[in-house]
Amino acid sequence: MGIEAKYIYRIADNVSIVPVPLMPVCYEGLIYYRGDLFDVIDMGRFIKKEASTLHDDPYIILLKWNAEKVGLIPDRIVGIKWVEDNGGTGAVFNERGDTVKLMTPDGIWKKLAGLAHGT
Amino acid sequence: MSRTSIRNKLILSFLVLLLLLMMVIAVINRLTDDYYTAQAISVALALAAGAVFGGYFSRSIVRRLNSLSAVAREISHGDLSKDIPLLSQDEIRDLEEVFASMVKDLREMILDIKNVAAKMEETNKTLSNLSEKVLASSEEIDESAMAIAEGSEQQTMIVQKTSLIINNCLDQMDAAGRQSAQTVSKINNALVKTGTGETKARQTLGYLDNVLRQIVENTKPIYRLSNNVEKIRMVMHVMDEVAQKTELLSLNASIEATRAGEMGKGFALVANEIRSMAENSKQSSREIRRIVDDIFQDNKAVIQALRKSEEDVGKGRGIIGSMVATFREMVSGVKEISSEVTAVEKVTLKQIKEIRGLLSHFETLTRLAQQNFVSTQKTTVGTRNQKEGMKKIVELMQSLNTLSERMMVSQRRFRLRG
Repeated sequence: MGIEAKYIYRIADNVSIVPVPLMPVCYEGLIYYRGDLFDVIDMGRFIKKEASTLHDDPYIILLKWNAEKVGLIPDRIVGIKWVEDNGGTGAVFNERGDTVKLMTPDGIWKKLAGLAHGT
Repeated sequence: MSRTSIRNKLILSFLVLLLLLMMVIAVINRLTDDYYTAQAISVALALAAGAVFGGYFSRSIVRRLNSLSAVAREISHGDLSKDIPLLSQDEIRDLEEVFASMVKDLREMILDIKNVAAKMEETNKTLSNLSEKVLASSEEIDESAMAIAEGSEQQTMIVQKTSLIINNCLDQMDAAGRQSAQTVSKINNALVKTGTGETKARQTLGYLDNVLRQIVENTKPIYRLSNNVEKIRMVMHVMDEVAQKTELLSLNASIEATRAGEMGKGFALVANEIRSMAENSKQSSREIRRIVDDIFQDNKAVIQALRKSEEDVGKGRGIIGSMVATFREMVSGVKEISSEVTAVEKVTLKQIKEIRGLLSHFETLTRLAQQNFVSTQKTTVGTRNQKEGMKKIVELMQSLNTLSERMMVSQRRFRLRG
């Protein structure tokens, strides 16, 4: 999965996550980072229903767009890749043999809102 | 009354008679003048007086002699009850006294014979009973002697067998004594070897103490190495954190450079390089960590092995210590066994000596039993002879009884007063 760099605020680690009850399984909780609250989502559970490999000692990719703030826990962070601008339409490309699909934060947020709560 | 002999009596009577005759003749001569007549009358008177006197005198003697003769006749018929009359004072009186004494002696003799016969009869009866008893006893003695002879023979055989068994026992005791002596020698050897074993065990204990100290000394650098490895791991942890922070920093720098757009591309390259360096540093750190972990694991294994060796050496030390104690107890026990076996050897030797004495006693007993056997056989012969003798005695007693009966019959022929 890829996200445009303009949405990425920072990559954080060693941040304590505060769990929030009655939320979807992939919703890990809230973090407080430099004056902002971020909702943290485990992308493994969000996409594959499995916990990400960085779940126990996560790098958290902090996104900020409009007034929203979300943190994503990935399996790993490959790095910054320069690709053609497709207007954030969810283009797909190959990176080192892996299929990478670009996602927008809104898409993630909407999908999160559609998930069942309280499980 | 004084004793007067017949001769004196005759002389005196004759003189008195002559005096009377002379007096009568004198009277006659006075009365008569005729000499011849006077002589004839005197002779006739003298003859008449002589005849009267002689008749009287002879009758007196014959009468007493007849009286004695009658008594003698009665005595010859066995009547000793009558007394001899002592009438005269002359020589016949001596005859009467002698005869009375003879009758008295005869009475006493007959009484003695009667008593002797009665006693003989009684003694004969007693002897007969005793003879029968002695005969019965002789038979019993004979049977007993036979039984004793058989017993003596069996006793001799048993004693000889017992002597043989005791001899075998003595041989075995001798063998046991020799075995005891060998055992004592072996126990002494075992004592020496056990003492040597104890010394060797003590030396081994000293060597193990040295090995233990050496292991402890050798363990110290390993522990120091382990501490150093632990420090290296801590440093590696710090390096990991630095690499991670550097990577994070490079990622954030890349993000910031991306936001800067075209102006930030150069900074993005630098950030990528830094991230690449951080990645390399992370990989190197990971490799070092792996090597350090291997060293740590090896070191840990070495320490565990050393600890195990230390424990094993400690256990070995304990075992050797217990071996030393065991050897000490063995030495003590072997000493006790040695003293006990020595005591057993002494007792065995004493038993051998006593059994030899017992054997000599048994040999004496065998001789005595044989002598006893011979003696009992002699006793048997003697009792048989005694039986024969007793039979002869019984026969003699029977003949003696017959004689005593005859004596009693003869004695009954005599009649005593009362």
